[in-house]
Amino acid sequence: MDFSFISQALSQLFAPDTAAFALATIGLAVHFGYTGLMNFGQSAFMAIGAYFFAIGSRTIGMPLPLCLLFGVVGAVVFALLLGIPTLRLRADYLSMVTIAAAEIVRYVAITPELTPLTGGQGGLTSFDYGNAWAALNPIPEPASGGFYILGPFSYSRDDLFNLIVCWAVVVIAALLVWGLMRSPWGRVVRGIREDEDAVRALGKNVFAYKMQALVLGGVIAGVAGMLYIMPKGLNPDIGGTQTTFFLWTILFLGGAATVFGPIVGSMIFWATLIITDGLVGLLTSADLLPISGIQGGQIRFILVGIGLMVLVIFRPQGIFGNKAETYFNG
Amino acid sequence: MRTARQGIICSTYRRRLWHLSLALLAFLALCGTFQARSAPGANAAGVQLIVTVTGADSKPAAKVAITVADAAGQLIKGTTDADGKATIALTESGRYGVYFDVATLPSGVGPAANPTVRATTGNISPQFTAITLTAGGVRTEVTPAPLAAPSATGTASSTGSAAAGGEAGGGSASSADSTSFLDQLSSKISTGLTFGLLLGLASIGLSLIYSTTGLNNFAHGELVTFGAFMAYMIAGQWNLNGWIAISGALVLGGCFGYLQDFLLWRPLRKRRLGMMQIMIVSIGLSLALRYVFAFIWGPDRLSIPANNDPVVSFGSVNLRYWDVVGSIIAIVLLVLVALFFSFTRTGKATRAVADNKALAAATGINVERITRIVWVGGGALAGVAGALIGYYQTLQWNAGALILLLLFASVTLGGLGTTWGALVGAIIIGLAMDVSTMWVPTSLKYVVAMLIMIIVLLVRPQGLLGRKQRIG
Repeated sequence: MDFSFISQALSQLFAPDTAAFALATIGLAVHFGYTGLMNFGQSAFMAIGAYFFAIGSRTIGMPLPLCLLFGVVGAVVFALLLGIPTLRLRADYLSMVTIAAAEIVRYVAITPELTPLTGGQGGLTSFDYGNAWAALNPIPEPASGGFYILGPFSYSRDDLFNLIVCWAVVVIAALLVWGLMRSPWGRVVRGIREDEDAVRALGKNVFAYKMQALVLGGVIAGVAGMLYIMPKGLNPDIGGTQTTFFLWTILFLGGAATVFGPIVGSMIFWATLIITDGLVGLLTSADLLPISGIQGGQIRFILVGIGLMVLVIFRPQGIFGNKAETYFNG
Repeated sequence: MRTARQGIICSTYRRRLWHLSLALLAFLALCGTFQARSAPGANAAGVQLIVTVTGADSKPAAKVAITVADAAGQLIKGTTDADGKATIALTESGRYGVYFDVATLPSGVGPAANPTVRATTGNISPQFTAITLTAGGVRTEVTPAPLAAPSATGTASSTGSAAAGGEAGGGSASSADSTSFLDQLSSKISTGLTFGLLLGLASIGLSLIYSTTGLNNFAHGELVTFGAFMAYMIAGQWNLNGWIAISGALVLGGCFGYLQDFLLWRPLRKRRLGMMQIMIVSIGLSLALRYVFAFIWGPDRLSIPANNDPVVSFGSVNLRYWDVVGSIIAIVLLVLVALFFSFTRTGKATRAVADNKALAAATGINVERITRIVWVGGGALAGVAGALIGYYQTLQWNAGALILLLLFASVTLGGLGTTWGALVGAIIIGLAMDVSTMWVPTSLKYVVAMLIMIIVLLVRPQGLLGRKQRIG
């Protein structure tokens, strides 16, 4: 019996993936939780940040800070492209256009004609930024064994650096959003969430505020995309609709209109996934479940789908959310 | 006073649009019948070809170097990945030959023929071909060369399902340069119309469910894939007749729609869940269903067994049985739906509920019953559309996401919440996607659908047949 998944689940709590998904979900909380924008294309923002960053570094050969900026610019442009035709219309249109746009981004990224630029279905695995990134690492080589031991976990020098950077960015973004939502700007966007017409009657430009929220959340997701590919290279699956669905599930786990909900939600989400994978693997290897290994890998997605439905139906405010802050019209 | 006047104007306008759309439907249906006959076996545009190489142990063979000679005389190199798949961008659809670099093959096995010559069917992209390596296979090194004329390699184009397209492809290869712009255009129009009709079948349900319940159903694509898998199960796994498969997809699709409504959506309506909440529930359902399909039928692309010999052929054009039958079924069903909405009490009641639920309920229409009928009918139409799309191309567990995108583009173009807008939009989207491949790469035709959707939202957000006050 292989119980190693338990320690894996524990270390996943602090893994860079968890941080990247938490960050992207903070962006989604700005969109949906605070402003009431139904964005079902958050994966596209992550993908665009990641691809622009990687292409800027690999193809154009820009220095690291410019690559980061390039990724952010990509996310901003994409948000404007999505927002201009849809933000004046009813929520349904934004939801349809965003999910469609996300699929389009993925199709363009994997199209064979663009393989020299985007790596096609194989993605981009070798990066020039890898070296530049490693060179920034201020952490000294560990004294013995090549690993830093922190409690039950051991990290290599590069892993530790990635981890610290990822979580630092998450904390900065969380504090930024937390502060913004307590500012006059935050009160306006929350007003838009509750009653758009009332805010319009106060003389506010609702469209501009929605656009600002879309851009802000999109940029946060773009940065999350960059963090996500930083340790391991770019897999085009990042732009798939399942990424978006994961983010929505995380959002509802933690609470839609909270800043720290997405962080805890992401931790719970990833740890649960690994534990279920481990348990399914255990049962399969012990011949208690009559399924193949591939089928075992699909169970997690079925569970995420069902989990999302159950959460939304029975606990829409999430684990930490406040019911009064849960925006659902109708 | 003012509102009453507006109402009258509006209703005459609506009636005119209604007649207009019926006339348009009849016209398009006629076009569909004639145009479907000239659907091409091959054409000058490129398609994406995915070659899957499987070893003798039926595991994927990775890192096999292949060279594909396509109908345009190009030699394109590729290497299989960990899944045994290599993606090749053919510059021209039609006959192609896959050459193996023997040095990269797993030891002791080889393909049945080197090169393996097959042909693409039509301009559907991507195309798939599977090559199995066997212990007694060819292991002599062959230098890749442009394909010779079909007569020179008479034995080559005999590999099963692709034979029909093979002959057509060979014909097109030799006459590619003389293919005129109009010939190309008409063949694109015919394939576009065929696919547009199938999309239209599927989108009517999406549009009706939206207008009667307010739910923007993100799991509608999965209703379509469900139909495709039902047809696969009946025709592919139980080896029954294709007609049984299509009718089975219709009936089971309807049952699936009914079950969804009964088990999920009706209780949620009773709970008075907000529309946005229900929308997110449909997203969760879409994810769960998609992976249930993958769980049951596996992650690979499947094709429904069908006789791919041409039944209608003239000149260099060959039409498969199911190309013809699919278009006819689609047109017949669309006409039946049109008659249902125009002449039956239930059909009229459905339009009334779609138009104004409260008013319809006040006139004594049982809104719950109509909603149930819409779910059953929408599910059945989506199921048939899925089965026909399965015959038209191939089916895969995650195809629903892509179909959903096209359905959204269709209903947005036609007008969200209108009965006929979806059909008109679907046909335009189908046409635009195929015709655009004359200028843009085939793999980007979905981008065209998306761009149309965005432009429509910018210029006429209520869609072609929609009313302005609906967009809120």
